[in-house]
Amino acid sequence: MSAGGGRPSTLGSVGAKLAVEDLTCRFGDTLALSEVSLEVGAGEFVSIVGPSGCGKSTLFNVVSGLVPPTPGRVLIDGRDVTGSTGHVGYMLQKDLLVPWRTVVGNVVLGAALTRGVTRRDVQEARALAARYGLEGFLDHYPHTLSGGMRQRVALMRTLAVHEDVLLLDEPFGALDSQTRLEMQRWLLEVWSELDRTVLFVTHDVDEAVFLADRVLVMTPRPGRIAAEIAVEIPRPRDLGTLTTPGFMSLKRRVLGLLYGEAA
Amino acid sequence: MRRASKYLIPVGAVIGVFVVWDLVIRILDVKPYLVPSPGSALRAIRDDWDVLSGLTWTTVQETALGFVTGATAGFALAVLMSRWALVQRVVYPVLIASQAIPVVAIAAPLVIVFGFGLTPKVLIVAFIVFFPVVVNVLDGLASVDRDLLNLARVMDGRALRVLLLIELPATLTPLFSALKLGATYAVTGAVLGEWTASLTPGLGNYLLVQNSRLNTDAVYGAVLLLAAIGVIGFLIVAGLERMATPWRARSTARRWWRRPAEVGSSPPMPVSEDVSVSE
Repeated sequence: MSAGGGRPSTLGSVGAKLAVEDLTCRFGDTLALSEVSLEVGAGEFVSIVGPSGCGKSTLFNVVSGLVPPTPGRVLIDGRDVTGSTGHVGYMLQKDLLVPWRTVVGNVVLGAALTRGVTRRDVQEARALAARYGLEGFLDHYPHTLSGGMRQRVALMRTLAVHEDVLLLDEPFGALDSQTRLEMQRWLLEVWSELDRTVLFVTHDVDEAVFLADRVLVMTPRPGRIAAEIAVEIPRPRDLGTLTTPGFMSLKRRVLGLLYGEAA
Repeated sequence: MRRASKYLIPVGAVIGVFVVWDLVIRILDVKPYLVPSPGSALRAIRDDWDVLSGLTWTTVQETALGFVTGATAGFALAVLMSRWALVQRVVYPVLIASQAIPVVAIAAPLVIVFGFGLTPKVLIVAFIVFFPVVVNVLDGLASVDRDLLNLARVMDGRALRVLLLIELPATLTPLFSALKLGATYAVTGAVLGEWTASLTPGLGNYLLVQNSRLNTDAVYGAVLLLAAIGVIGFLIVAGLERMATPWRARSTARRWWRRPAEVGSSPPMPVSEDVSVSE
């Protein structure tokens, strides 16, 4: 299912699920993004790491269509979707669950805000939520759930909009380290079963390497992609992966790139 | 036990006020024509009930109609103001200036325009209820997380659906705070209206007439009835609040509110069968 670290060789090729071409984004005098290009293959999991202010979130805002680039293009399945919304699933560190909607009500939010919720949407949401650890909480209001559970609901909501490309912006950043590890394993399980393409922003190097087929390292001022590292660690990955020599050396390389020390 | 004490304590507190009132009258030997005992105030209500029931009904009508008018207008105006920044910038200063006018002062000109009927009283009540509703609903609309609205945009949410499903529900809690204040203030508005424009008499007029006759039993009786209108109004609003915002008091949705789909039925899903959920 995953591309296993095999990266497409030429930019703009029709084969890529998501292609970003020469994206530049300026806010006043600040160059938030400078000629960022990247490609993600279908079913691939790509992490983006970088310090605060490196333009990770801006990149996501452009790809999702919230912010228009100046200039640059965003292609999904070869189709130009630059500056238009409604073609990716988007999830933030804040779960943004709607307090007056139940777990199921939140999962079907995408349908509710566009065409109206059908019986089928509800059945699918119930099955999805029950399958991935929310059984018994389907009719609960969000305030009764823990932080980890809330992020599960947020991811289910992101999956339920049926977009192939998922942008996850530090989704586990606000969780404690144990819950975060549990959620990472859970995300890998969900990803391996549902054929989705994931672009995952984090500033946690362990998380980036553990989850991804490839890690893109971004540097700030101006925001650009400084390096790309293929993660050729076999799947399925689990806790043991975190202490293997392969994992450690990849982590050392990413840290070196981030902090400018010799790898 | 818990449930019982929830209702027993407030009821007991009200009875306590009457008991203290009665004790103070007895111990200090207050003359009945200055302040009557609660017993004689209640007796005055009973003895004059044939008249009072009609007057109470008039005051209730003024209060309720004015309350609904003011709340509806306030809510609608707040939504319009939040939609169009220009409307907000034009209307807000006018609103604030309007609230600086003493309610008593606008009562007289309202009578000149609308006569002595129900209308000026309803408008005075509405004028009092209106302002806190506008301010609180605007606050509620402004409290919606920008990121949630962005998420709705990424999902291609339709503007009307976003308004109905995300923005308006966010106003319910502050709206009900304003309505609970309004429910008690509304009675004051009705009485002020009656004092200015008094061809269709209500409890306010009755109170003035009995006061001029030094019939303090009846005055206090009228005060008790006015207080009862305010308290019942408050309780109705509080009850509506519980029904309208179930997520604040409950952990799960009410059964009749849940979406009609069976858990057991299996929709087509691209997932494998042997999944164990890691907890």
